[in-house]
Amino acid sequence: MTAYIIRRLFYTVPIVAGVLLLTFVLFNLVGGDISLEIAGKNATQETIDEIRHEYGLDKPLFLSLDSQFVNHFKNALVFDFGRARDREPVIDKIKRGIAPSLSITVPMFFGVVFISVSLALLVAFVRGSAWDSLTLFICVAGMSIPYLSFILFGQYFFAYKWGFFPIYYTPGLSLYEYAALPVLIGIVTGIGSNLRFYRTVMLDEMKSDYVRTAFAKGLSTRKVLFKHVLKNAMIPIITRVVLAIPYLFLGSLLLERFFGIPGLGYLMIEAIGSRDYFIINAMTYISAILFVLFNLTTDICYALVDPRVSLD
Amino acid sequence: MLKKVFLFITILSSCLFLIVGCGKDDGEQTSSDNVIHTALTGKITGLDPANMRDWSSGVVAGNIFETLYQYHYLKRPYEAIPLLAESMPIISDDGLTYTIKIKQGVLFHDDKCFPDGRGRELVAEDFIYALKRIANIKNISQNWSMFDNKILGLDEFREYTKTCKTRDEVDYSWQVEGLKAVDDYTLVIKFKRRWPQFIYILTDPSTTAIAKEADDMYGKDIIAHPVGTGPFKLKTWHRGSYIELVRNPKFRGELYPSEGEPGDEEAGYLDDAGKPMPFVDGITWSIIAEQQPAWLLFMNGQIDSKAIPKDNFGEAIDSSMELTDQMEALNIRLEKFSDPSTYFVGFNMEDQLLGNNKPLRRAISYAVDRKRFIDLFSNNRNIVADGFLPPLMASYNPEIKKKGYAEYSNEKAKQLIEEAEIINKGKIPLLKLGMPGTGTSYRQMGQFLKKCFNDVGLEVEMLYMDWPTYLEKKNSKSLQMFVSGWIATVPDARDFLEIFYSPYWKAGTKSFNYYNPQFDKLFEQVEVMPDSGERRELYRRMEMVVMDDCPAVFINHRVSYVLKHSWYKNYKPHVFQYGLAKYRRLDCAERANYKQFLKKVK
Repeated sequence: MTAYIIRRLFYTVPIVAGVLLLTFVLFNLVGGDISLEIAGKNATQETIDEIRHEYGLDKPLFLSLDSQFVNHFKNALVFDFGRARDREPVIDKIKRGIAPSLSITVPMFFGVVFISVSLALLVAFVRGSAWDSLTLFICVAGMSIPYLSFILFGQYFFAYKWGFFPIYYTPGLSLYEYAALPVLIGIVTGIGSNLRFYRTVMLDEMKSDYVRTAFAKGLSTRKVLFKHVLKNAMIPIITRVVLAIPYLFLGSLLLERFFGIPGLGYLMIEAIGSRDYFIINAMTYISAILFVLFNLTTDICYALVDPRVSLD
Repeated sequence: MLKKVFLFITILSSCLFLIVGCGKDDGEQTSSDNVIHTALTGKITGLDPANMRDWSSGVVAGNIFETLYQYHYLKRPYEAIPLLAESMPIISDDGLTYTIKIKQGVLFHDDKCFPDGRGRELVAEDFIYALKRIANIKNISQNWSMFDNKILGLDEFREYTKTCKTRDEVDYSWQVEGLKAVDDYTLVIKFKRRWPQFIYILTDPSTTAIAKEADDMYGKDIIAHPVGTGPFKLKTWHRGSYIELVRNPKFRGELYPSEGEPGDEEAGYLDDAGKPMPFVDGITWSIIAEQQPAWLLFMNGQIDSKAIPKDNFGEAIDSSMELTDQMEALNIRLEKFSDPSTYFVGFNMEDQLLGNNKPLRRAISYAVDRKRFIDLFSNNRNIVADGFLPPLMASYNPEIKKKGYAEYSNEKAKQLIEEAEIINKGKIPLLKLGMPGTGTSYRQMGQFLKKCFNDVGLEVEMLYMDWPTYLEKKNSKSLQMFVSGWIATVPDARDFLEIFYSPYWKAGTKSFNYYNPQFDKLFEQVEVMPDSGERRELYRRMEMVVMDDCPAVFINHRVSYVLKHSWYKNYKPHVFQYGLAKYRRLDCAERANYKQFLKKVK
């Protein structure tokens, strides 16, 4: 397994390098020059030139040891993303945004996984019944309603009209106060698609011979469902669950924006709006690394839960 | 078994709901404190006065830093009065030298950049240091264009900073001929040529005093460590989320104005006349990019004032453009005020087709239905731009409407297009109009303008682009037409006129690329004239020169509608919104009662 992990880690190098190349081409060649915008109105050419100098935009693009491209690589390797457009170090912004983002995405993640898997087991067991149909109907309805509608509805009724939750993040609110409503909305919107997926997985398992054998042997429903069916359904569950983890670090763009949670999702959406390439570049790079690492984690988990899978 | 699991999930969900739902009532936290709560839609980019041009940063910094002069809070038209200056400047006979006496005993905020952490006394040298920081090219200040080629020796200092490799290398003891501190409390500024608008520049947050100790200690991070002399100091800045200022306990004290304009007394704006300011203990701005949460917070009494979002306009304002009964019942007040702004469709006068074809430009002007535009995109709030100087300006020409520059007439447009086609020796080809955004509102505006063009037989392609791309294209003169606007930063029409003065736009960023020698000559004449009836007449003449050349379709001037709660006192609209929190007062008891009142109404 160690050899496999080392080999896979080596594979990450060209992938991450590819991402760096892509971001460089997108932001430096296609995206255009940002110095004019930074310079403000009535800026003279010399001011614009000085900005280009400060941000290293006056250096050659490729063919030099001190080129923009080489510096882009070098800085990324040591996680030095420079300063954002407002002159604050990008890494400080990211560090500050991680906790607020995780404070909503982690409970959302566990809430969605726990509720979806549990309900999926149950509705798979009672497949074809009115409960199954009702659950399916609610899932499809939930998936069909735009995410933004849940946010607007939740904020208006649960926060403003009925006063159960704060409307927006304000100084002095504790974590459970400001994160509660976004988490609840995140769970409600996430359940539809997840439950449908897990239900399908469970149904496939339910049709297996070993389930019939288990019942024939007189095992209880609880044992069949939780000890056998759930364990055998773990491969698709792990694939979905582990690959969702990198998204937790990216935060939730809309929820953070509407509830004023100063996380990475909010940071990213603002960076896109203001074309702050320094932030977008850093977030893209970190995301790429996280995706590669969690892909590897997924493979390792396969081997741990299923003895038929060998990583050698 | 199944029942047990369902029961478990039901209980779990209920617990989650109850636990999180029983948190502190969000209204309570704001009801008793003597702190102004308000919202900003744009994020604060930095609190370094030398490098701050965005509105949000200026509004916040204006309460931390102080300038030599400020606008009278109540009097209109806007009048500059001393703030950190002891009196109005003594101006030499030739108008080239300003001698400014500075108040004694003014202290900087306590900060660790000073010995023992105690703020030292403000001296004249701090203003000189601030101006040199703007000139220092290593600081890449967005404010330099204001001072370019104005103060004796300052351009030479800028040239010197170009020879330095880093900002730390710059020696601020380098003598600038036009900036002298005769003593700690006397500042003398000499100009290359007359600069009558300078008094307004001295009200701008960029010219505030900077303590060298703060710059030395914080370097580039000074943007997050503002050390001023103002009534409030920074408590917390959670970037992108909120910023809190608290009262500066060492503030020297300033009295609320005792004079205003007619009607101020009746409106209650003089209730606190002569009382020491500030009245509140602090200010908190939440950064709220989306309109719904900001609106709900306002309606919930958690923020004290709010501009009316487009989508909530009908809820707040009735057909007679006054408050609805619902708002009246909540004791909400409406304030309306004109901005010194003009929005337009600009023409690139160096474009071969448009630049050489005045009938075509005029035809486009006739084709745009300004009233409908205002109705659709500003809920009928804004006013038609008959010229390009807003009515707020003293030099606004009330007779300009009679000239008919803003007339909407498809017939006249079509006639002019016939003339334009003769000049063009053929049909007018496809025109291209750049929009400074890609969002829904820009696309809606684009659709409307396209229809106006199409109605008179002109074909136009709308180019929706993000802001930086738009700027780049405009500056490289590659946009044929563009939607844009201009907001004056001082109450002087020169701010508008300079965008048409060719030496300025040639040296700086480009827009209309307009060139008219007659206009340039008039501009050079008025630029050095002090405010007078003669200068106002010349401003009007210059406006007519531009309007006759038609380098743009001037569409509207913005009128802001702001709602405020009744407990928010002394809220007189002011278009130059720097350092106004000190005037504002809160009736905390009334704010506390609102929550109970709201429960009944809901």
